[in-house]
Amino acid sequence: MTTRVTLRRTLIACGLLATALVFAVVAMALIGSEALPARASLCAIVSFGTADCGLGRDQYDILFQIRLPRILLAAAVGGSLATAGASYQALLRNPLAEPYLLGVSNGAAVGTMIALVFFGANEWSRPVLAFAGALIATLAVYQLARGRAGATPERLILAGVIVTTFLSSAIVFVTTLMDATRIRSFTFWLLGDLSGTTQTLLPVAIAMTVVGTVGLTLNARSLNLLMLGERDAFDLGVEVGRVRMVVFVVASLLVGSSVAASGSVGYVGLVVPHLVRLSLGSDNRITIPAAALGGALFVIVADTVARTIIAPRELPVGAITALIGAPLFIYLLKRV
Amino acid sequence: MVLILLANALACTRPPKTQSESQGASLTQQLTDDAGRNVTLPARVERVITLAPNLTEIVFAIGAGDRVVGNTTYCDYPAEAKNIAKVGDTLHPSLERIIALRPQVVIVSTASQLEVFTQQLQSQNIAVFVTDPHDLEGVFKSIEQIGRMLGEEQQSQALVQKLRARTSAVEEAVQRVPPVRVFYQVSNEPLYTAGRDAFVTDLMRRAGAVSVTGDVPGAWPKFSNESALAARPDAIILPTGGSMGAANANVAEALRNSPAVQAGRVYKINDDHLARPGPRAVDGLEEMAHALHPEVFK
Repeated sequence: MTTRVTLRRTLIACGLLATALVFAVVAMALIGSEALPARASLCAIVSFGTADCGLGRDQYDILFQIRLPRILLAAAVGGSLATAGASYQALLRNPLAEPYLLGVSNGAAVGTMIALVFFGANEWSRPVLAFAGALIATLAVYQLARGRAGATPERLILAGVIVTTFLSSAIVFVTTLMDATRIRSFTFWLLGDLSGTTQTLLPVAIAMTVVGTVGLTLNARSLNLLMLGERDAFDLGVEVGRVRMVVFVVASLLVGSSVAASGSVGYVGLVVPHLVRLSLGSDNRITIPAAALGGALFVIVADTVARTIIAPRELPVGAITALIGAPLFIYLLKRV
Repeated sequence: MVLILLANALACTRPPKTQSESQGASLTQQLTDDAGRNVTLPARVERVITLAPNLTEIVFAIGAGDRVVGNTTYCDYPAEAKNIAKVGDTLHPSLERIIALRPQVVIVSTASQLEVFTQQLQSQNIAVFVTDPHDLEGVFKSIEQIGRMLGEEQQSQALVQKLRARTSAVEEAVQRVPPVRVFYQVSNEPLYTAGRDAFVTDLMRRAGAVSVTGDVPGAWPKFSNESALAARPDAIILPTGGSMGAANANVAEALRNSPAVQAGRVYKINDDHLARPGPRAVDGLEEMAHALHPEVFK
C-alpha cells in the first residue's frame, strides 16, 4: 500500500520536475552572450535541428554545437552531484555530507589533474582517474570520521575539511609541475567550468548520471532504513556493508565523471537535496530521483548566469553555485 | 643555508649610507620609475636582479648581461640567461636568495607582488625599480630607462632606434592594406583571449590587425565560445611553441568552422615574442605582419 502511494508521489514529483527541466533546457538555450532570434531558435530546437527555421549557419552552430551541449553537460553535472549528495546524506546520516565539502570533488580534481599532466593525450584517462581519486577520497574521509564513538556529524565534516585541505595542497603541488601559461586556465577549471564540453566526455557524463541515479534509487529503500541507524538497518535485513560500498562506488562514479568534465562545482549536492526534502519529505525513493532532476535544473540556471552576466567574458559556474550554497550551508549548520 | 644566514647577517649589519655618500651627485643617481617612485641608485650599478623574462632580455640586449646576478626560472633568453642564479619565478621570488645575491637594484615588472616586497628589499638597502610597459612605446621607454640606469645609454638608444625603424617599416607597409580581423587564442580549453589591456593587442594593431576581442575589458579574459564563433575572425593567431611548449597548438572547437580556418589563415607564432614586453616583441610584430599580410612583404 505504502509502496504504491510512494510510487505515485514519486511519479508525480518527478514528472513535474522533468517537465520543468525540459522547459529550462529550451528556455536557457534561448539566452546567451550572442543574441539569437528567439522564434527561429525555438523552432530549430523543437524540431531537433531538422526543420529549416531560417537560422544562419553560425547561429545554428552556436545553438547546436555550443549552447545545447553545454546545457546538457550542466544538467548531467548538476544531476550527478545532487544525487551523490542526497545518497551521502542518507548513508552517513549527516545533512551536511556533500561531495565538495567532503573532499570527494577535490579527490576527483587531483585525479583529473594527474591525468592532464601525465596522460594529457588520452581523454579517457580523465574520467577514470577522476573516479579513482573520488573513491580514494571517499574511503579516506569515511575511515577518518569513524571514531570509537561512531561517526558524529561534526567528526565527518572535520574529516572532510582535513581531506579537502590536504588535497588542495596536492592540487597546488601539481600546478607547480605545469608551466606558467597553463595555470590560469587550470585555476578557472578548478572553480567549475562547463565551457569545455567535449564530444567524448559529454556522453560519458550523461550516461553516468542516468545509470548512477537509477542505481542509487534502487537502493533507496535500504537507505531509508539506514537512516534509522546501521544497527537497526542490519536487524531489518539490510546488507549494510554492501549498500555502503554501492553508494561509495556509484557516488564516486557520478562525482568523478562530472569533475572530469567540469571541475569542482560546489554546493550542488547540499542545496538541491535539502530543497527537495523540504518540499517532498525525506523518503529516498523520492529524494534521490527528484534531486537528480532538481540538480540538473539548478546548475543549468546557475550556468546561464555564469555565461551571460559579464558576456562576452565568463565566470566559473562554481562561483555562482557557491554564492547560493554557502549561505544555505550556514543556515543548515545552525539547525544541526 | 649557512651562507644565506651569513649574508643576511652581513646585510643587516652593513652600516647605513653616510650623508655625504647619498648626497654626493657623482656617487648616486636619481631615477623615476613607472610607478612614479623616486629611486636612488649608485652611479655605477654592477649587480642587478631582473624579475621577469622581458627585463632579462632588455638588460642583455643593451650589453649589460654580465651584470645580472640573478633572474627568474622563466628567464630562458638569451641562452646565457639560463645559467644565472634563479631567485624563483616572477610571482614568487625568494627574498632570501635575492638578499644573498647582494644586488644593488632589483628590476621588477608590475606582475610581482610589489608592496610588501619593495618594503622588505628597501629595508635591506636594495633599490627596487618598477617597469610597467603596456605597449610597444612602453617597451622602448623601459629599454631607455634601464640603459640610463646601467650607464649604457648609447647602446640602449641605438637599440631603440633600430627597433623603432623596424616597427615603422612594418607599420608603413601594412598601412596600404585593410586590416585583418584576428582572434588571438591564448588557450583553447577553456577559451582565453587577449583583451583591451593586453600588450599584444597594441602589437596586433601595429601589425595591421584588428583584434576581435580588443574591446573586452581586462588583459586575459575568459571568453565565451559562442561569441568567438559569432565574431567570425578572418585569421587566428596561436601563440605557442615558446614557453607554451606544445600547448595551445590547436584551434578551439568553437572556431573550427570560422572563416579563418576555412581560408587556412591560422598562424602559430612563438608566444615569447608576443607575450614578453621586451626587444623581441618587434620580432613578434614582424612575424604577425608577415603572416597576416604576405602580399606587402614580397
